[in-house]
Amino acid sequence: MTAAGGLISLLVGTVLLRLTLTGTYGRYVRLGMGPWLAVAGVAVIVLGSVTLMHALRHAHPADHAHHVDARDHRRRGGGDRVGWLLLAPVAALLLVAPPTLGSYGVGRGAEVDIRSGGGVLDPLTPGAEPVPMTLLEFGQRAFDRGGASFNGAAIQLTGFVAGAEEDGFQLARYQIACCAADAAPVVLRVVGVHGGPARDQWVTVAGVFQPGGDEVPELAATTVVEIPAPDDPYE
Amino acid sequence: MGAAGDDVAASGELPGGHQDRRARPVDAGVATVALVVVAVAVLRPLLERLLDRPAVAHWATVFVAIAVQAMPFLVLGVTLSAAVAALVPAGLLPRVLPRRPALAVPVAAAAGAALPGCECGSVPIAGRLVARGAPPAAALTFLLSAPAINPVVMVATAVAFPGRPEVVVARFLASLLAATVVGLVWARTGRDELLERVHRRRSDPGPPLAVLAATAQHDLLQAGGFLVVGAATAATLQTVVPRSVLDTVAGAGPLAFVALAGLAVVMAICSEADAFVAASLTQFSLSARLAFMVVGPMVDVKLIALQAGTFGRGFALRFAPLTLVVALASSAVIGWWLL
Repeated sequence: MTAAGGLISLLVGTVLLRLTLTGTYGRYVRLGMGPWLAVAGVAVIVLGSVTLMHALRHAHPADHAHHVDARDHRRRGGGDRVGWLLLAPVAALLLVAPPTLGSYGVGRGAEVDIRSGGGVLDPLTPGAEPVPMTLLEFGQRAFDRGGASFNGAAIQLTGFVAGAEEDGFQLARYQIACCAADAAPVVLRVVGVHGGPARDQWVTVAGVFQPGGDEVPELAATTVVEIPAPDDPYE
Repeated sequence: MGAAGDDVAASGELPGGHQDRRARPVDAGVATVALVVVAVAVLRPLLERLLDRPAVAHWATVFVAIAVQAMPFLVLGVTLSAAVAALVPAGLLPRVLPRRPALAVPVAAAAGAALPGCECGSVPIAGRLVARGAPPAAALTFLLSAPAINPVVMVATAVAFPGRPEVVVARFLASLLAATVVGLVWARTGRDELLERVHRRRSDPGPPLAVLAATAQHDLLQAGGFLVVGAATAATLQTVVPRSVLDTVAGAGPLAFVALAGLAVVMAICSEADAFVAASLTQFSLSARLAFMVVGPMVDVKLIALQAGTFGRGFALRFAPLTLVVALASSAVIGWWLL
């Protein structure tokens, strides 16, 4: 039980708590994990504080008992020393907070199989405002009876630009089940835009489904608005 | 941080002071933590420039994501492990558990269904069970089965494969079979002396709460450190291995089978998430994807690092290959039968 160990725990717990309070954790894990991260953060902070106080209180009389303890730690080998590595993610999160996944991973791993699990979807009701939906739902509707369920309604999609195309760009958004390590992208094509936004730029696109996209569903855009990366970057 | 800074100054002014009233190891450790934090803060602009490269940013995000995702499960695991150390009297486990491995191992495999968590949490618990005198074969069986067959994982699998209940059944049976076989093989041929690390750690005597805190703190740092090693490895492999490698092996029967098992090992994703990834690997056969889901919770780079840290390196070097082979064989048999 060392003061350094307690301090490391304290830092780890603080970072976890900070992630949940600022909402930054949405870049790395599902939003539903938030409360658990907070609980874990508080638990680790308590643990670190107890350890730190205990170590400091018992450190001052540098007596016989303490030396025995130190030798015992050495005998146990590097088991404790590896804990220092926890400072790596702590440092990354405290200082730079790595961004949400971007277009680098599109086409590198598995993509979401849009066609499975969609089934027959209820038709939309066209209204004055475009209907916001996930990229996955858009894809599923596109493959359900050739897009009949869109019923001509205007759609609003939010995602990032994964690459330029002749007459538009690829729009993508990741699905995650637990964390960013298992992310798989849904990729659609936005057409009717000349000189689209830069790669990795987040956008909100409004438009209508355009039938005839062979493998990749297409949206004929009417408006493209650039936005900052949202707090819930994954579907 | 102010106190830590004072310590740096103090030890700097008194190099090798022979009448050092403070205990040196404590001060040195705290000072080092402070130094690391300051050094990283100074290097911040460099880090930010590095993150402008998409590959580095991708690596960093996956690395941090695995570490963050695992923390709540790790905390749960070390808390339960510490509770065992503090509250279960020494000598109780060997008395109440069946002594014959043929009985203890299947019981442990089935008991795995009761711990809803992913693999990071079950490693410290299994380590503690061994330290408290549970038969190693049984504890290791529990270690393998808990993350693979718990209810959360089963529900996630059912959601990921809608309308295919046979996938859920196949996963449950193949994982249970693999965990049991590994346990029985270990009981017969395993070298328990390889579990050196576990036996070296004794719990300090004292009031239960103090033991709880000390044990949890020790386990958290140890498992957490190895988790970081595993997360970095997985992030590196995910960033550098291109997808084209996957597509070239997707068609070829047994090769595809082994390739997906290999992918499970290098991706190191949570057992609660791997069904969704398996569902998206549509170019592969269902049997190959079953292997992905059976191998993943039992063998991956993050787990190997955690096991090496908890049980010892020699142990991990034998246990991981054994588990991989058994898990592959088990998924082949069950996949051929059910899928």
